[in-house]
Amino acid sequence: METGVVFNIQRFSVHDGPGIRTTVFMKGCPLSCLWCSNPESQDFAPVLLARDILCQGCGACVKACPQGAVTLTRKSGRTIDRRKCDNCFQCVAACLYQSLTICGQTMTVQEVMDEVVQDRMFYKNSGGGVTVSGGEALAQSRFVLALLKQCQKEGLHTALDTSGYAPWEKLKSLLPFVDVLLYDLKHLDPAEHKRTTGVDNAVILENLEKAAKRSEVWLRLPLVAGFNDSVGHVKKIARLGKSLGVEKVSFLPYHEGGIAKKRHLGKTGDIFIAKAPGDKQILKLKDIVEKEGMKVTVGN
Amino acid sequence: MQTAKELRGKIVSKAVRNVKRGYADDDSKRGMYRKGIRLDLQRSRLMTESFKETDGQAMVLRRAKALANLLDKMGIFIRDHERIVGYQTSDKNGIYHPIDQNWKSVLRLVNSKAGKSLLDKAGRKELDELCAYWKGKSMSDRHQEALPDDLKKYWTYEGTFLWSQLSELGIPDYENLFKTGLKGRIDMARKRIEEIDRTIPVDYVDQKEFLEAVIISLEAVIRFARRYAKLAEAMAKKETKRDRKAELREVARICSIVPELPPQTFAEAVQFFYFIHLIRYVEYSTLGVGVRIDQLFGPFYEKDLKAGRITKEEALDILQLLWIKLNELGLVYSPTVSSVYGGVASLQAVTIGGTDEKGRDVTNDLTYLALEAAKQLQLIEPSIVLRLHAKTPDKVYDSAVDVIKTGVGYPSLFNDEALIPLYKRWGVPEKDAKNYAVTGCVYIEIPGKNVMRRSVGYFVLPKCLWWALHQGVDPKTGEQRGARTKDPATFKSWKDLLKAYEEQVRFFTNKMEQLERINLELYEKYCPRPFYSAVVEGCIEKGKDARKWVYPSMLHHFTQVIGGTNVADAITAVRKVVFDDKLLTLPELIKIMDKNWAGREDIRQACLNAPKFGNDDNYADLIARDVHSRGEAAMETVKDRYGFSNRGDGSAVSATYGLAIDTPATPEGRLDGEPFADSTLAPLPGKDRKGPTAVLNSCAKISTVDTYNHLLNQKFLPKFLDDDLKPVFISYLKTWKDMGVPHIQFNVVDKNKLVAAQTYPQKYADMIVRVAGFSAYFVDLSRGLQDHIIARTEQSLK
Repeated sequence: METGVVFNIQRFSVHDGPGIRTTVFMKGCPLSCLWCSNPESQDFAPVLLARDILCQGCGACVKACPQGAVTLTRKSGRTIDRRKCDNCFQCVAACLYQSLTICGQTMTVQEVMDEVVQDRMFYKNSGGGVTVSGGEALAQSRFVLALLKQCQKEGLHTALDTSGYAPWEKLKSLLPFVDVLLYDLKHLDPAEHKRTTGVDNAVILENLEKAAKRSEVWLRLPLVAGFNDSVGHVKKIARLGKSLGVEKVSFLPYHEGGIAKKRHLGKTGDIFIAKAPGDKQILKLKDIVEKEGMKVTVGN
Repeated sequence: MQTAKELRGKIVSKAVRNVKRGYADDDSKRGMYRKGIRLDLQRSRLMTESFKETDGQAMVLRRAKALANLLDKMGIFIRDHERIVGYQTSDKNGIYHPIDQNWKSVLRLVNSKAGKSLLDKAGRKELDELCAYWKGKSMSDRHQEALPDDLKKYWTYEGTFLWSQLSELGIPDYENLFKTGLKGRIDMARKRIEEIDRTIPVDYVDQKEFLEAVIISLEAVIRFARRYAKLAEAMAKKETKRDRKAELREVARICSIVPELPPQTFAEAVQFFYFIHLIRYVEYSTLGVGVRIDQLFGPFYEKDLKAGRITKEEALDILQLLWIKLNELGLVYSPTVSSVYGGVASLQAVTIGGTDEKGRDVTNDLTYLALEAAKQLQLIEPSIVLRLHAKTPDKVYDSAVDVIKTGVGYPSLFNDEALIPLYKRWGVPEKDAKNYAVTGCVYIEIPGKNVMRRSVGYFVLPKCLWWALHQGVDPKTGEQRGARTKDPATFKSWKDLLKAYEEQVRFFTNKMEQLERINLELYEKYCPRPFYSAVVEGCIEKGKDARKWVYPSMLHHFTQVIGGTNVADAITAVRKVVFDDKLLTLPELIKIMDKNWAGREDIRQACLNAPKFGNDDNYADLIARDVHSRGEAAMETVKDRYGFSNRGDGSAVSATYGLAIDTPATPEGRLDGEPFADSTLAPLPGKDRKGPTAVLNSCAKISTVDTYNHLLNQKFLPKFLDDDLKPVFISYLKTWKDMGVPHIQFNVVDKNKLVAAQTYPQKYADMIVRVAGFSAYFVDLSRGLQDHIIARTEQSLK
């Protein structure tokens, strides 16, 4: 059976499509957006998360680590030398306080289904269902295809949340099994897009145009102040959305959730300093999109 | 007409503060009541006066005459905002204590730090004199005297159960009273006397004395209303403001009609109800309301509306004035009992929605008006109970969510589809079951029937498990207090532990029930309730006081069970660490646990990390299912005085915090004294990690019909009930109903706000939280109880 690497199954999701949903987060992403709020999802392989705040300094992980990558200091509890760490996760098994955990788990379609069907009654009453998200779901498209097919077989409403950065054939193969496509747009300008996400947006925009002909599309806009929140930029997006027959646009104002997660991953490089647009600006942008005849929701 | 804000300003809050956890002090310096609240001795004084005069007469007549003495002589007054009138104390700041029930606790209270401001020196002296009369005569004295020696030690609270005398509820038969007035009842009693005069049955004297007592009581009630009519008339004469003059004249008119004669208008019906409700409290200290307010008053409102006698705004005003009255009853609790009633005034709950006896939806204009009154006033009481069923209109959900969103903690939602089958199993006839109402937290009653509901007390289930792990022996004293169950060293699986637990539950239920049987017999003999008997169905007809017979089902008798989730998670932890993972043996675990986990945090963490109820995980949930249903079955093997089974009830009030102090460490990783899960269906705080849908899925695995009427608290952030998400929240509620989970209620508050209120109590003086089956001002709760509420999992948005 098809397996995939999943880093979270989030029940009671109410911002990833209509109604009450379960969102299946696939691990691994070809983009590396500066503002990423789930940096733990970027690597394709399972990674070690170390939450210092939960560490009691008991030293069980030090004893468990075959590489000698963990040391105990009186001041800061345990520290992990990520260069020595080979992700064997023996420290995770030893940790009593859930300070060390694994992010990412190889699962079969059936295992995922077992969890998602449990909230079937909530889906039914709320018009909700299952959303496959990431990371980038298209990067594990074979698994996602099998999962979406199975959802459809079970009569569950499906949504796919994607950056659109993948060969068209991959996205196309999934669309017959997707009821709503949640399509992320970061920036329309190719250079800005490349600078902040690491990839070109040409394929993204092409895929969007093609997908909109085959599926219901909701746009999702991560909003970072001074980067993509200008009236002009959002107007362009609104016009594009209208021309493609988009029903709904979700604004996702930047939040700092990713910073702590970077720390948990041991990534101590530059911290991306950013802000969400102010409330006034958001209202203004909302108005622009609504004037083009689309519904707008704000926040997650 | 007054605005909600103006009316709120008139309120005297009499909510009790919890000043004890078991026997230990808990923020007792705050005082048990807010500043300015006084113990009112008028009831004690007038009752004692009458009792001294009636010495030697039949008790039922003595109590009727004492009530009459009270109603004829009580100080009465009407406040300047009032149009619904009646107080049980001589001024607005008073609370009264039922000295005939128990005088020792009130004496202890006024002489303690927590209660010394309740009485001045002269009052203290008078109280001493009054108490001297009741020495040996109060119900509590009689009970203690009557107990056989081996039961005495179980009467004293030790941590396993808090036997309590107070929780007697009941819903008068307003529907029929509204048809006949009290006059009709008096006529009926007179006719019954004639009938027994002709037949002379074996209990001729009993019947005659009872019926005479009924007549004395009801006539006194009519006179009491007339006193208010006279007072209102006199005030109207002096009144210079024209509007107020007219209002007082209307009060005078109404009080000269009701409750003697049937009410014709909405305002008359409300005043009629309030007199009866109030006098229930004057006759005997009681709790709750329970009235199905929309069903009862709706027709009067609609009739007035059609006749052009009332507007919607006027009706709302009357309803709000009633709300204020219900908010102000108050009661005196003993300091130990305050540990289970943290923040309670007098558990006033009114019921709306649901079906009639034939299963038809009862929603009417008043259903919405009641929700509107609640939304505008935002009081801790009365709490609204909303019954939901398959045909509840969507608009009711919508209006209910608007009230829930304010953060007041109600309406508390009851699921007819889960509960009615349960009542049928209890032996309640279907048409009565469909007419159920909720009086206090989740206390279920049938309006008008002689249910005479009594809570036997608070039953600490984790302590039963603890006894099961110690073969019923207190390791500190060596005393055999619980049942001698099998040695845990011999347990082959978690199922053996469950069996030993069931035995302990049965053992202690038996002890409680023995205490209760003696108590009920004494109440029949020494504390008849002629007034209450006259206003419920069947007593006058039978010529029997309400205490001499009972509604024929196991509905009337229950024990408030707390900590069921802790027991379930404890047994799950034993299954995981002892029997599955074999980290250590059960005796080793018990030894570590008994030292409060000292030096073995590793084992405690292993227990904490074992699967927990509330995550939609069968490993834990199916054990929870068995713990609830088999515990209930064990309780039901014990029969009450009338031959009906004892049973559990989810009305935990604040006992999950207050009484947990006397249960040492338990295997789910709980520390000595740490609070339990906050309600029968609640997961342990912070241990439900999969969100609110998983919590409901877990709860749905526990069969309501095999157990009892549960309570489930959920905490949501306010923004989840806003605009876009409101339909999603409503769909969540509908799924709750479809799943057959019997109850749910919400704290809709930001955790940060609660934390801020701990620092700046003045600024948050009006902030209300849901504690258990009741709402309370957050600032009235002890710090520990506040922390207990903050610790509950906040269901966040993803």
